[in-house]
Amino acid sequence: MAISLQKGQKIDLTKGNAGLSELIVGLGWDAIEQSSKGGFLSGVFGSKKVEFDCDASALLLDANGAFTRKEHMIFFNNLKSPCGSVTHLGDNRTGAGDGDDEQILIQLQKVAADVHKIVFVVNIYDCQKRKQDFGMIKNAFIRVVNKANMQEIARFNLTEDYAGKTALIVGEVYRHQGEWKFAALGESTQDLSIGSVVGRYTK
Amino acid sequence: MAVSLSKGQKVDLTKANPGLKNIIVGLGWDTNKYDGAHDFDLDTSAFVLGDAGKVKDDKDFVFYNNPTGAQGAVVHAGDNRSGAGDGDDEQIKIDISKIPAEVQKISFTITIHDAETRKQNFGQVANAFVRIVNEESGAELIRYDLGEDFSIETAIVVAEIYRNGSEWKFTAIGSGFQGGLSALCANFGLSIG
Repeated sequence: MAISLQKGQKIDLTKGNAGLSELIVGLGWDAIEQSSKGGFLSGVFGSKKVEFDCDASALLLDANGAFTRKEHMIFFNNLKSPCGSVTHLGDNRTGAGDGDDEQILIQLQKVAADVHKIVFVVNIYDCQKRKQDFGMIKNAFIRVVNKANMQEIARFNLTEDYAGKTALIVGEVYRHQGEWKFAALGESTQDLSIGSVVGRYTK
Repeated sequence: MAVSLSKGQKVDLTKANPGLKNIIVGLGWDTNKYDGAHDFDLDTSAFVLGDAGKVKDDKDFVFYNNPTGAQGAVVHAGDNRSGAGDGDDEQIKIDISKIPAEVQKISFTITIHDAETRKQNFGQVANAFVRIVNEESGAELIRYDLGEDFSIETAIVVAEIYRNGSEWKFTAIGSGFQGGLSALCANFGLSIG
């Protein structure tokens, strides 16, 4: 039943589905096995899996697509939006496990009137020091689930090669003519942190 | 101010505006905000059609490399390859009084150049719109938000003007194709290499 989206695709969420009120936006990825160079002893003890910690965030933007208050960055250190409608369900530090690695809950009716768009971004924690980029992950996806019945509405599998990129602007939930829609973005940048991504939305 | 037509809706052009000469098809969009990614190169074109809704030959496909058609009645004002600049980035102008007698219809289309290689579609282009203006009255007959009304498409038939007896009328079409320019051309009886 879930629609499989391609990059650039936009779908209606609430139009034709008036009962839809709470979404779970799930993000997931798998780290490709990496071995660290552990010196001459690594041959004895085998390769060590380097921790690959991706962090999902939600940026709440106004009608002009602008980011105007720091409380509108929802991430592992700021789990709930001021209006209470967007909640980050917590940090996953290794990406281990199938299904969603991180989830963000959205209560559509509670979203503050001045918030018009919620953009989902994934960054790599400490990517510069750990020398990591998104070429080292596979199976990245974003999905939108109707929380009332846990049915997946749509899924966007990110299939491009993101080597050399350290931030993914994955998708967004946004208002359009009184309804909510979802857009599959799948864009990537070399921003080293969420703070730097936010700069793209601030004048 | 714009009377925005819905798909399928028809409007009198010359009957409502006796002596109407000029219509402008205007296309605009924003440059790509992601560095290192390809520009979006949107192209506006016109197909000059005869009785069967097909072109006579490739001269009837008016675009940036063939900027005049229908014996000078249709003029393409030039190619914009990135969307830089405010307002209309490309325009096609039609002088209705000059359209030859055997032309029954002129169809207006928008395509994304190299969409397949660049992996682009209208959903990715910010603030893309197409509008058709009655140059005489300044009225905007139609405006489509290309990024919301279309998303995974790469070619759109926007609208057409057609003869109805001794008058010209206008229909809003708004149908999208995923096959890009070649799908569009095939639709109008033109095969491109």
